[in-house]
Parts: sequence; structure tokens; C-alpha cells
Amino acid sequence: MSTLNKKPETRLNASLIWKVFGIAFFVYLFFGFMLLPCLNTLTSIFTVKDPTTGAIDPWAVIRFFFAGNMPKFVLNSLKLAVCLVITVNIVGISIVLLTEYFDIKGAKILRLGYMTTLIYSGVALVTGYLFLYDSDGIMTTWLSSIFPGMDKNWFTGFNSVLFTMTFACTSNHALFFRNAIRAIDYNTVEAARNMGASPFKVLLKVVFPTLIPTLFSLTVMTFITGLCAMSAPTLLGYDSINPEIVRLAGSSIADESFPQARAALLSIILAMFTILLLTVLSAYERKGHYLSVSKTKAKLVKQKINNPVANVLAHIYAYVLFVIYMTPVVMIVLFAFQNYPSLRSKTLSMDNWTLINFFGSQDFEFMTNRGKYRTRPGAISGLFANADTVGGIRLSFALSALAAALASVIVVVAVNYIFKNKGKKRSVVLEYSLLFPWLLPTILICYSYRTYFNSTDVWYVFGQNLYMRENVRFLIVMAYTVVKLPFALRMIKAAFYAIDEELEDAARNLGASPLVTFLRVKLPIVLPSVLAVFALNFNALFTEYDMSATFQSSYGKSYAMVIQNMCHDEGRDGYNVNASGRRCASTVFIMIISGLILYLVYGVGARDLGERLERREKRRQFWRKITGRAGKESQKTAA
Amino acid sequence: MAEQAANMIELKNIVVKFGDFEALHNINVDVKQGEFFTFLGPSGCGKTTTLRTITGFIEPVSGTVNVNGKDITHVPIEKRNIGIVFQSYALFPTMTVYDNIAFGLKIQKLKKDEIDRKVRDIARKVDLTDEQLQKAVSQLSGGQQQRVAIARALVTGPAIICMDEPLSNLDAKLRVQLRNELKKMQRDFGITTIYVTHDQEEALTLSDRIAVFNKGYIEQIGTPNEVYNHSKTEFVCNFIGDINRIEPELCKKLNLDENQNHFMRLERIRVNREAQEGEAVLPGEIESREYYGLYIKYYIRVCGQIIKVIERNDGINIYDPGQQVSVGIHTRNLMSYPKQ
Repeated sequence: MSTLNKKPETRLNASLIWKVFGIAFFVYLFFGFMLLPCLNTLTSIFTVKDPTTGAIDPWAVIRFFFAGNMPKFVLNSLKLAVCLVITVNIVGISIVLLTEYFDIKGAKILRLGYMTTLIYSGVALVTGYLFLYDSDGIMTTWLSSIFPGMDKNWFTGFNSVLFTMTFACTSNHALFFRNAIRAIDYNTVEAARNMGASPFKVLLKVVFPTLIPTLFSLTVMTFITGLCAMSAPTLLGYDSINPEIVRLAGSSIADESFPQARAALLSIILAMFTILLLTVLSAYERKGHYLSVSKTKAKLVKQKINNPVANVLAHIYAYVLFVIYMTPVVMIVLFAFQNYPSLRSKTLSMDNWTLINFFGSQDFEFMTNRGKYRTRPGAISGLFANADTVGGIRLSFALSALAAALASVIVVVAVNYIFKNKGKKRSVVLEYSLLFPWLLPTILICYSYRTYFNSTDVWYVFGQNLYMRENVRFLIVMAYTVVKLPFALRMIKAAFYAIDEELEDAARNLGASPLVTFLRVKLPIVLPSVLAVFALNFNALFTEYDMSATFQSSYGKSYAMVIQNMCHDEGRDGYNVNASGRRCASTVFIMIISGLILYLVYGVGARDLGERLERREKRRQFWRKITGRAGKESQKTAA
Repeated sequence: MAEQAANMIELKNIVVKFGDFEALHNINVDVKQGEFFTFLGPSGCGKTTTLRTITGFIEPVSGTVNVNGKDITHVPIEKRNIGIVFQSYALFPTMTVYDNIAFGLKIQKLKKDEIDRKVRDIARKVDLTDEQLQKAVSQLSGGQQQRVAIARALVTGPAIICMDEPLSNLDAKLRVQLRNELKKMQRDFGITTIYVTHDQEEALTLSDRIAVFNKGYIEQIGTPNEVYNHSKTEFVCNFIGDINRIEPELCKKLNLDENQNHFMRLERIRVNREAQEGEAVLPGEIESREYYGLYIKYYIRVCGQIIKVIERNDGINIYDPGQQVSVGIHTRNLMSYPKQ
């Protein structure tokens, strides 16, 4: 379709101004906050000066890499990524098959348990596992009472990271693999059964082949997650790339050889792996997916496991997984409402029920080494009474909301432009520039920001050092925004595809200008998706760890860092005695926020106008009924 | 009705190109005031392109679009005063029925009470209740949605209304029902209507006149009777309704000019009837039949060719496969075209 009508000159001028402004903004964003900082990181590897001669030695870092212990970090990350692919796929596929494909008793409850990672992930989840399996964790305490000789520090290193991340990284399987299983045409299963195939043969030969594209995507995403792992290796003590980059970024030449350039090299290695994997993934995706050719698709019917032994084993396996998923969540929730003595002894008691971990504060009395009792006023303080925690929550809330909103607005404007100029070079360039951060690991972007903007030489930010003092908050917002652009683009673009082109024509025909058409017709249609993107991005950023750790400073102490500090503070008697309780309360708070957001996005946000009007009418009828009854009763009383 | 009226829309030598592809070749159409004019043709023939040229979504490479004698070829879409009912209805899903109808009036910045009066007035005319006005468009049936689309297109008082296959998304029964309603509404409003369809039955039942499109050309413009019974070209004859092509052997039997292709409508052939003057009666054998209730369609072998015949179902004269029958063909009912 082409709309070539001559427009009034004034409108042309106004649209030209908007166009120039838009182009300038996107060029500034792409070059200023994506390309240049990352290029600076790349060049910094080859511009290291020899400490003795002062001359530039381009290969110094590379030589150091092979001579020192740096390959260890890369190999460790690769080892974690490979193992994670195996374990996450086993657990992820299991939880979906057990709840969606096989007829397992209590599948609905099991599904709820398996999906807890959707509201309980990242640093909160890792600290939750620590709460259970740490040296003085509940499970460790319990196990050591049974096996007195056991090593209390057993939950550290590679195994603990692999275990934690295995159960933390099944969210994608729970969402996407589940959708793929549910999309299977049951007629194909029936056809295979009709031809004499056993249920397991059907699963292997008919069902699985159609799921391979989804599984491939999930495998690649899991591999990247493993490679870029941050919170679990940091908190559980495992030498992988990301924690090392953050450590090196904070180090100085006085401590070790060119730490910044080494950090840059590691982040570039990570980027190379990511680009390679995403290229493989997109090449595979281009081959296309298996699509059912059925005209009438039949809904999948759960398969009974006929072999009684296999059936029992499947049920045992399902419930063991359920216990692993649910134990940290249940324990954290229960202990969030227990007082300090209870938390310390890791025993639950109704007598120790309290809300102190959430609200208010109280004094802490303790015995000194000299046997005297002392009181530390207000040492026990709840989540919303502790200045540090509240500061972290406030900062994370503000920065995440701002970045999520910024990413949504930028992408909505860009996608509207891309759709209006479909097939034109400029829209392709714009789209690829917004997808650019997808190719780069988050840590590379953050590290690049931290080093590039930690100077007064960057002219296009008016010579301001953005890493200094309060400026770091701006840097965090920019990093949050840039990192979330690709996800926002993919989601919002999908929403724009759903707009019937005739709607725009209809609005134009009824006299609406392009701006009015966008604001009153197109935007309301994509608004639920835009809000969903905003909410999901906010949710992810609110407890985001990787970027927070890179930008950590007294001016940029986010919620995730506060939670991390709580882990460190635990056990420091007399000072932060209820860090453990506050951490539990924090996790409960995060779960509530995440749950609420998911409900708003997938529950409320998914309703169309018809459903909303129906609900409104039901509410009206309900209130009419109530007020009518109340009115009648008051009339009776008056009579 | 439209015979005496003046031309309201005039398309003169319209040429539309998409890149190198010429979608419309020199189109000339005149539509009279109050006329129900249909663009009929197969997919990709240029009928929707012509409609979009009239509404302003497409600007022709050459030629002019005149409405009431005024050249509107370069007038912006929103200033043409032409209402459109889209194929998908294009109702705004985030607005209630009321807001959908009121959209154009709000754009015109009319006063709230005037908008309300106009919306309720048009809603009454298209049989939409006050309760339905408060609903979301997704809560309405296909027929109700069509009425909303018509109300929205009419509420701003356009001089012309264009409809782009508005019945194509509906099931067969509803199509017939709404077709009748559409015609009644058009008569009541007396508005000049341009209707696009690929369905010949729809075109024949609704239209005052039909333009039959093929590959970007207009093959014939005429009344439904003209295009059906006096098809100007072989394409029109084949496209409109079912037809028998007379094969050479039968042509010889009927003494027809062999330099021409000859066609005959199914209902013009008579089975087991007394011969009329000038009618050739040939022996035939029933090959198969399709029972439609109101009528029966027979496939009869005559001179080695299968001829399709429609007979009214009188419940008595029903022929079985294998039965010998006589087939009456009158050459005056033939439509003949030079061989190309």
C-alpha cells in the first residue's frame, strides 16, 4: 500500500523536525552508548604499555593470558556451561513432561512448584539455597546432626553452582518448552499409537522431533547463561569469567599486571562466544520449524504410563524434584516470620512468630567476652526499617522503573518507524542497531561503561565523569536500558505485527492524522504488550545482580548488592544480627513483587476490552446487590 | 433508479503501478448518484486497487478521479468525504462500539452532545441497541460487527461509501442474510455505494451495475442481466455463473460456426421436454446428478461431451444415472466469441 498524497507544508516541516530529532537520538544512543564504549574496551587490550619501557605492547595481554592462570576462568566457565546444558535440559524437560505429557497425580501442584523460579530467581534464589545448604544452613545443620563428621562447608564450588543453577535456569523450559509440548497435534500421537507404537516410542519418534527447534534454542540460551553466570559463582565461590572481570575491574596496576586490559580481554572472549552461539542459533532458526499441517488440531491428552514400576518411579522422581524446588521457598517464607533466636538455631516455632524482619526495629542484647551484657539499640531492624535495605530498594526501584520505561518508549517509537518503513534500508539499520546489545554479554557493556565513562574526556557527555558520585546512577540507567532494548524490541515488534493494517487505513479515512492514529488506535492495541515488557524488564532489573556488581559504589548500591551484603553480614554478632531474617523477608518481598507483576502481565494485561467490560459489569451487579441489600436493611431498620 | 441520475464518480484513464508492475491499465468508470456499483473479479484483478484509488490510499500514476465534477486525485484521504467498510471491518478493538462510531466525529471536534445524538441516531438506523453501544466490538456477532462498521462509515455523512468484500469473512448463511440487509440499508440511506467482491452471486443480487475486472482491465460494465445473459467477453461469460463450453463434435451437430467458441448457461438446456421451434433435440444419457433440494444438477453425456444441466426439482421428473433422456438446445441461447 502506498499513501502518496500531498501533505500541507506545515505538517511536512513538523515531521521533518521530528525525523531529524529521531535520527540524531538513535545515532547518539547507538554510537555513544553501544559502539564506542565497547570499541574502547576492545582497543584497550592492544594498547597496554610495557611497565619497564613505557612503550605500547599490543600483545602483552594475550601473552599474559596464555602464560598466567587466565585460561582457567574461561575453561571453568565453559565447563559450567556444558554441564549446565546437560543438567538443565534433563531437569527442564523432565518437569514439563511430568506436568504436561504424562499423567502424573497432582500435576497442577507440581507445576506450581516447578514454576516458582519465575518469581524467585537470581540473587534471591542463590541466597535462598545458601540459607538451606550454607555451613550453618538448615539442611547442613540437620545433616550434620545425622552425620557428625560431614564437612559443613560442602556447599561451595563447582558442584554447588551447578546444583543451584540447574534449578534456577529451568524457567525458560517451564515457559517455552511447555508451550511447544502443548502445541503438539494430538492426532499425530494417536496416529502413531494406531500404527502400533508404544508410548515411549511415540515420545521419541513423533513428539521429540517436533520439539528439537525449541530445545536447540533453549540449549543455546542455557549455554550462554552458564558462560555468563555471575551471582551463583560469586556467592558460592567458583572462579569463572564474570566474577573475575568484576574483580579485575576493581583492581589497580599497583596490585597486579594491567587488570583493566585483562578484564577487557575476558569480556571480549565472552562476547566472541556469545556472538558465535547466537549466529549458530539464528542460522538454525532460519531453517524453519516443524509446523503441523493439520487443518483441525487436537488438544494433547496426557499419556498414562502403563508399566506400574515405571509409573511409580516417575511419580517418585516428580515429587523429589518438587521437594528440591519447594524446600528453599517454603523455608524462606516460614523463616521470614521467625525471630532472631529461631533463625539462629534454625528451628521453627509458633512462639517465635514475628513481623520484625519486615517492619519496625528493636534493641539487641548480647554478652561480651568479659561476661557483661550490653545492648545495641535498634540492631534488629526489619526490611522496611533498615536504612541500608530501604535505600537499596528505593534506588533499584527508581533506576529499574526509569530504565524499563525508557527502553519501552524508545522501542515503541522505533518499531512504529520500522513498520511504517517496512523493507527500507533505514528501518533495517535501526532494527539491527537496537538488537546490537543482544550480541554482547551484559558484563561487556557494563565493564565498557565503567572504564570508558570513568573519565572527563568523553565530549558527548559534556566531559562529565559518569562513574563518579551520583553520576553512576545515570550510567546504571543507561546500561539497564541498553541491555533491555533487544528483548523489548522482539516483544513489541511481535505486538505491532498483530495490528491489522486496515485499522490504520480506517483511522486515516475517518480523518485522523498519523500522530492521532498512532496515539489513539495503534498505541492502545499494543499497550498491554508494552506494559508487559515494562513490567518484565522492571522485574528483571529490580533484583538484577551482574550490572549492580559492576557499578557498585556508595552512590549506586542497588537492592541486589544489599542482599549480597546481608549474606556477608550474617553471623557478625551484635551488628547485623537479623541480616538472615531480613534476607528471608527480602526474598518474600521480591516474590510478592514478581508474582504481582506476572499476575498483572499475564492475568490482567491479557484481558481484552470485552473481558474487562464483562468483569466491570459483574462488579457493578455485585455492588448493586450489596448496596441494594444494605439499602433494604436500612429501610427495614428505619421502619 | 440510477438510470437518469448524473455521474457522481468518474474514473478517467486511471493507471496504477507498483514498481514496474502495472496493476491498473487505463481504467474508465462512471458511477451514478445513489447507484450500487460493484467491482467484480478474481483475486489480483485490480478491483481493490481501483477502490483504494477512489478512497485515496493509492495515488494513480496517471488519470483522474472526479467526484461531483471535482478532481480529487490528489486530495488527502481524510478530506475526500468517502466512507469505507473494510474487509476485516477494521473496528478498533480497544474501543467500545460507541467509541468506534464516534471516532470520526471526535476527530472533527464536534460537541459532545452532538456526537452523542449522531451516534445514537445512526445506531438506531442500523439496528444497534443502546446496550450494544456500550459493548466491546469483540462481544458482538459478525453481523453486528458489520453494522457497526457501516454505522462508523456513515456517521460522518459521507457522499460515497466504499465496501471492500465486507461479507467475505462470514459463514454462508449469514452472508445471505446480511446481503439482504445491506441492500435494504443502501436503499434507505440512498447513498452511492461502491462494492468490491469476487463472489458473482453477491454481485448479481446486490448491484445496480457491475464492472467485471480481469488482470487490471475492465472487461464489461453493465447491469446484472447484461453481464450474465449478454457477457461481452469469454472471460465474463466464464467468470459469471456456471457454463457449458460446446465442444467441436457437438458444434457440428448444431451447425455452429467453428471459428468461434460457444457457451451455454446450464438453465437454458431442457431435458425430456417437447421440442420448441428452432431447438435441436439430441439423445443423451445421465452420467451423474447432484441433488441441491431446490434444483438438481445433471451431468449428461451428449455426443461424447458431458453437458451440465439444471432442472427445477418438481419431485416427479427426477432422472437416475444411466437413464436415457432427450436434451433440448436452442442456438439463440448460445453466447459466442471469436477464437483467440
